[in-house]
Amino acid sequence: MTDNEQWLSGAGEWSFSPAPIVELRGITKRFGAVVACDDVDLSLFPGQIHGILGENGAGKSTLMKILIGLVLPDSGSITIEGTSCTIHDPRDAADHGIGMVHQHFSLVEPLTVWENVALGDGGKLNPDEIRNRIGELGEEYGLIIDPDARVEDLTAGLRQRVEIIKCLRRDPTVLIFDEPTSVLTPDESQQLFKSLRTMVASEGKSVVLVSHKLDEVLTTTDDVTIMRQGRVVDQMDTSETNAPALARSMVGREVSLRAGRAALGHIELDIKAETASETETVTEPVLTITNAKASGSSGQRLLDDLTLEVRAGEIVGVAGVEGNGQRPLADLLSSLLPLDSGTVAVNGEPVSSSSPGAMSRAGIGVIPEDRHDSGVVLEMTVAENLVLVDPQRVAQHGIIDHKALTRFAEEMIRDFGIQCSGPNAPLWSLSGGNQQRVVLARELADHPKVLVAAQPTRGLDVGAIEYMTDRIREAAAAGVAVLLISSELEEILDVADRIVVMSGHRIVGETPRLGVDLEYLGLLMGGAAV
Amino acid sequence: MTTVAEPTTNEKQASRIRQSARLGEWLVLYAVSILGAILISALLVTATGGEWQSVVTALLDGSMRNPGRWGETLGAAAPLLLVALGTVISSRAGLVNIGQEGQLAVGAAFATYFGFLIGGPGPLNLLVLLTFGAIGGALWAGIAALLRFWRGVPEVLSTLLLVAVAGQAVAYGLRWQWLLLAPSASRGNRNQVSEQLSPDRRLPNQVIFGNSFPISVYLAVIIALVVAFLLARSIWGFRLKMLGRNPRAAQHAGVSQNRYGSTALMIGGAFAGLAGAAMLAGGGFAFGNFQLVPGFSANIGWTGLLVALVARERALVCIPVALVFASLRTGSGFVASTGVEGRITDVIQGLLVLALLVPPAVMFIRDRRRARAATTART
Repeated sequence: MTDNEQWLSGAGEWSFSPAPIVELRGITKRFGAVVACDDVDLSLFPGQIHGILGENGAGKSTLMKILIGLVLPDSGSITIEGTSCTIHDPRDAADHGIGMVHQHFSLVEPLTVWENVALGDGGKLNPDEIRNRIGELGEEYGLIIDPDARVEDLTAGLRQRVEIIKCLRRDPTVLIFDEPTSVLTPDESQQLFKSLRTMVASEGKSVVLVSHKLDEVLTTTDDVTIMRQGRVVDQMDTSETNAPALARSMVGREVSLRAGRAALGHIELDIKAETASETETVTEPVLTITNAKASGSSGQRLLDDLTLEVRAGEIVGVAGVEGNGQRPLADLLSSLLPLDSGTVAVNGEPVSSSSPGAMSRAGIGVIPEDRHDSGVVLEMTVAENLVLVDPQRVAQHGIIDHKALTRFAEEMIRDFGIQCSGPNAPLWSLSGGNQQRVVLARELADHPKVLVAAQPTRGLDVGAIEYMTDRIREAAAAGVAVLLISSELEEILDVADRIVVMSGHRIVGETPRLGVDLEYLGLLMGGAAV
Repeated sequence: MTTVAEPTTNEKQASRIRQSARLGEWLVLYAVSILGAILISALLVTATGGEWQSVVTALLDGSMRNPGRWGETLGAAAPLLLVALGTVISSRAGLVNIGQEGQLAVGAAFATYFGFLIGGPGPLNLLVLLTFGAIGGALWAGIAALLRFWRGVPEVLSTLLLVAVAGQAVAYGLRWQWLLLAPSASRGNRNQVSEQLSPDRRLPNQVIFGNSFPISVYLAVIIALVVAFLLARSIWGFRLKMLGRNPRAAQHAGVSQNRYGSTALMIGGAFAGLAGAAMLAGGGFAFGNFQLVPGFSANIGWTGLLVALVARERALVCIPVALVFASLRTGSGFVASTGVEGRITDVIQGLLVLALLVPPAVMFIRDRRRARAATTART
């Protein structure tokens, strides 16, 4: 770490504000055998946007959790404005002027914006004062919002504004943003970055942007800290670096930007003609969803007249801001959501949406968004999880043949490169990427006609993302109709042949990948009538 | 990225070491908690002026050492085992059935009513009796299943509340001769009991070394083996487990929660009902005089539930655990005769039950904490 220390002491000299607001030194945190943060140093200076870049599992989130008191470090020191201190909980952090906007919001949906902002205040409430303050902060940072709107009626982008205002009202000196753009349209992201710039420029606040997207970090930050496997591997001035260099130090090896760019959030628009599949001769669609309507238990709309077709060998990307019906769409195709009206058909044969397992029997394989929700059974073994859908393949007269099960599992473990201690390892003992491979192996083993992949690469590291993406492409090449649901536009642009956009729980538009107009896509995602 | 398809010998060895370490943890936990319970019991007995040595002696005498006692213990273990097996099946599907006491009572009532209604030659009537016992228990649990899967009423509540209803319903049946009450000629004045089963309609007894027990003991053990096999090896057992651990994954995989869930709950009830019928036809020390009386179920349903809790969803483990609880039951009868106050013997029994329940709870919490630490570390 001597390099870093040299860099840090150097930074003090050229930085326009020599004293860092927050200084972390030698922070180490272990979870069991895994070292999430290993001797990490980090200095946050006023008036700057600091990027923290790293793959999933690199230790970014843990480091931030330590900074706001959600996790106590095993060793190391935290110095805030010159005084050494221990941060026990988020309230402590707030007292020290540190606030965080989380990736998953903690808002109370039935309450209004100002009520959410006031939540946690002690003493007597003064609604008008809070409303005024929301107005002022909105003006100042370009975060205009109606204080009397109900949070449940707001889009994800506006909800994030509420979270930010909640933080800003405490007038923090350090603001942490954890993957803030995952719920935003491209347009909203640009607006957010503008607000961030205002915060640091006019008031000397320090902003931390935690991200795994290269482009975001390159365009927004002043300096960048790169983490890999719990360690800080590089710290540099953003103006002195570029995408390939960042990618290399983030992953620890050369990344072919062709395969890895989606994983790294790097868009290359000038896609070569041969990489996009030729416009196919028009075939009959394999998967047809017609006028699908569904509602939740409390009557809220989940799917609103959704119509969609996917042909054999085609990868259709479903783009859209999270929470616009992507999850219900995947649930529908997993037999988890019965329709109020509308139909689903595979090769023209209607499939019941209310009968358990009917979709899977009809040949629809699903890699769910949250594999722990409906993809795997954590307490069962790898082998058992591989035959979850179709135990008959290893059974006779209703009795499971354990030898056949083990044989089948070993074959799958080999074919899909699943790293585990053996077929009888409990599924929870596998890493996220390997759990995902178990799901992939099982859903592909049945030779599906349709493969639905919902956020298939979320939470995976670059190697695992490359693998997953390749397998999806292979499936399509073998004639499977693939539906790729993703909130990462980069991923869709990288893999899909055709792009449809979801907004307001329905499909609002579509465009071929070839010659895609990003602005048009952004407008569709934002729900604009085009 | 390298792939490890075959576990190395090192890993196999490591996993064997892990397993024996786990077994050691279990043994230590049980030893510590049982010793603790005995220690507190001894203190209690001494403090209330008794002699703790005599309590231990009485427990052992009553459950095993005295002539004929282990036969009684076996006889008491059979219905406990049946109830526990049913509980294992429903909890495998993720359902919490705690109404065995009522299902058992209704099963016994069904057995009495249909046994006398249908009649027929002895052995055949015995079969009728046992079958209707199971049907009665299944139907009683079926009410909870219907409420659960039709209206979403939690089965924890419905099964529990149905225990009270079952008790009242059976007591009501015992007031009317056209239902369960015996003709006045064959019972003492005002006694609300059913007619006694004639000797040819009782479960045959096995006598070994002066210990006699009904053959329902064999029946229960055979059923335990069958249940253990089906849960471990059949597709049905596989699907129940899937449903219990992750209902959404199960639904995606084609396991209907309504069908498998209500079947599991009703099988649980059927086993409790069968236990009730077997108690009726088995008679003997613990379970009276081959006739239905108010309060017939005698806590066997509750204790069977405890057996399943201690055995933690494993059918074969239920066998020894049922024996332990049966010993406590037959042994504590003798403790009363040592002059130690009755309430104290109740407390001692409670402490010993707690001692058996603590290790599984501790291990459960530790396993969960370990699993959580493993997942946290990975994200």
